[in-house]
Amino acid sequence: MRKLPPIRRRRGGSFAALAAFFTVVIMFFGMGGATALSMPAPASAVSAGVQAADVNGKTFAIATDTTFAPFEFRDGSGELVGIDMDLIRAIAKDQGFEVDIKSLGFDAALQALQSNQVAGVIAGMSITDERKKIFDFSAPYFDSGVQMAVAKNDQDIKSYEGLTGKTVTAKRGSEGETFANSIKDQYGFKVKALADSATMYDDVKAGNSVAVFDDYPVLAYGVSQNNGLKIVTEKEQGSSYGFAVNKGANADLLTAFDAGLANLKANGEYDKILDKYLAKAESTEQGGFFELVKDSFPALMKGLWLTIVATVLSLAVALVLGVLFGFFKVSESKILRGVATTYVAIFRGTPLLVQAFFFYFGLPQMTGQPIDVLTAGVLTLSLNAGAYMTEIVRGGIQSVDPGQLEASRSLGLSYVTSMRRVVVPQAIKIMTPSFINQFVITLKDTSLLAVIGFAELTYQGQQIYASNFRTGETLLIVAALYFIVITALTQLSNVLDRKFNK
Amino acid sequence: MSATATDKSAKISVRGLKKSFGSNEVLKGLDVDVAEGEVVCVIGPSGSGKSTFLRCLNKLEDITAGTVTVNGFDLTDAKVDLNTVRQNIGMVFQHFNLFPHMSVIQNIMLAPVELKKLDKAGAREKAMELLRRVGLAEKADARPASLSGGQKQRVAIARALAMNPGIMLFDEATSALDPEMVGEVLQVIRDLAAEGMTMVVVTHEMGFAREVADRVIFMDAGYICEEGTPEAIFSNAQQPRLQEFLAKVL
Repeated sequence: MRKLPPIRRRRGGSFAALAAFFTVVIMFFGMGGATALSMPAPASAVSAGVQAADVNGKTFAIATDTTFAPFEFRDGSGELVGIDMDLIRAIAKDQGFEVDIKSLGFDAALQALQSNQVAGVIAGMSITDERKKIFDFSAPYFDSGVQMAVAKNDQDIKSYEGLTGKTVTAKRGSEGETFANSIKDQYGFKVKALADSATMYDDVKAGNSVAVFDDYPVLAYGVSQNNGLKIVTEKEQGSSYGFAVNKGANADLLTAFDAGLANLKANGEYDKILDKYLAKAESTEQGGFFELVKDSFPALMKGLWLTIVATVLSLAVALVLGVLFGFFKVSESKILRGVATTYVAIFRGTPLLVQAFFFYFGLPQMTGQPIDVLTAGVLTLSLNAGAYMTEIVRGGIQSVDPGQLEASRSLGLSYVTSMRRVVVPQAIKIMTPSFINQFVITLKDTSLLAVIGFAELTYQGQQIYASNFRTGETLLIVAALYFIVITALTQLSNVLDRKFNK
Repeated sequence: MSATATDKSAKISVRGLKKSFGSNEVLKGLDVDVAEGEVVCVIGPSGSGKSTFLRCLNKLEDITAGTVTVNGFDLTDAKVDLNTVRQNIGMVFQHFNLFPHMSVIQNIMLAPVELKKLDKAGAREKAMELLRRVGLAEKADARPASLSGGQKQRVAIARALAMNPGIMLFDEATSALDPEMVGEVLQVIRDLAAEGMTMVVVTHEMGFAREVADRVIFMDAGYICEEGTPEAIFSNAQQPRLQEFLAKVL
């Protein structure tokens, strides 16, 4: 499961770690240290942006997080909204340029910026000294800070003093955690670190923790969405968010952003945008479960459709790969067997997630050729499933009695004809259950593509509960959809199996 | 068609045949000629190399050394089209090896149709004729799985005959059968012998070998230990190994 915003917002290290990781992957794939070293340095080579003196009429690709409410998230209709989104669109309008928003996820957005797939990133990103080494930042457009919230019905805790002997929660690696730890001895409480906002709020509501320390805008938005908490302290001094471009690139865009921001602040539009998401609007009560089903249905159907598209495309390619390499594996040529064995070893011997990251982030960095998320996803799934199918095909062919091939060859039929008429028809019968199994696995594996921002079913579910805080119910709906589709697919396969493989 | 055979009339001519599986030498230098219309039975203890020898005659096994010439084609010559040579050599296996996903008649029609020797109608007619010959015409559309062992082997013989081969190889064709079914299969082989088919029969049925063979070859430990007429082999064995073997099996 992809975590909500979190940690990385405060940590300069996560990006560097990713970069180091890809360097290792590149070397692993035999490109050698030289290639790794000659990887396009940040802000060099192919720039997606324009260096011209004027941004007017230009279109810029801007990357953002998938969900970091209230800065970027999808509303009920699946539209990308939030403070960042409204702000960048308003600034673009003010300055006369166009933006093409790419919702990639936080780490992915920084990766995309580094590899010049996008011109800028706006993703509730704190301006830190470490990041300044890699990126150029705009003037701060938002001042964050930590606040404390407790359960809505909690009448006892009104300040830090009430925390003595209790446990509080904070986002792992976040500013909130740092702050909580800095005062825990003074007030005598314990800090429990959790991974994302929705989980923390659930923890407080469940009574496992009495209070949560979180970034003020995130908390304020959650409260405005009836997340069951109330804020009880003032905002502590915190970091500032900025819009980033690659170091030394797109200076015009940065200048335009600063100019636009100043204009919006002057004409009051900036405050309007902030109020829209942070003001304590006593929003309507949450609807029931079936209302949630109804509201989330369009977005989830969109996701389900992409899940099915990715599954079908991946399986089609994987089938071709599996048959090809499966026959390589049973061939008499040492070279062909070696090729197939290497292929299977690589794709079965590395995690699917690493492969997805590699094809989506690593490959573009190495080749300078951007790759869209569907292509990267299908490439990953088909190469991965193809490796398993290779083994299914090999196993199927080898489990046919060798006497069958001998009998056919003794009649004077060629190897190819013998395979086609005698061995393969019997192998297919043996392979069918394994193939059905692989279909189901691949369909479920599409959910992993959520991490590279592929908007399939799981991703859509995450988007929904990240903004409405109804994690359990939303995941139930998502799981039910998977269950229905997979059960239907399995039943259909079994019917076909019975019909054709009597 | 470079016939290197010493005996011009020989359908099969084997010279210095050696076969190794890894470091294990199974055939240690065989010389055999089989004349047109001759029935040669190969007997010997398990592991003596009988089946391997037979499988070298249509090159189901790679030949390590020596030559095997069939119908004038040297099978060890890489330029020889094995598929063409094999069309003229029918083979019957111990475990039948019928194609389970095809009906009986489809098993028999497969080779003639795939190799474009006959059209479908012609192949069907030919297959029916062969089925009548082995007494199984009523089983044409049955699946192999529904047949008894003896019936399966008779279908396998019909299949091997579908390309009108000049030579038939039998690899312990009755060893996997229940005793009461051995007779029906032997009868079909006997009929083929009577029609003058050139045959090499690896068998454990000594009585049958004695009855139908023109010549019997006794193999032991990868060598031809003794060969001769059935009379000479079964009633006047010279080699102690053969005498010992016959004492056990007769």
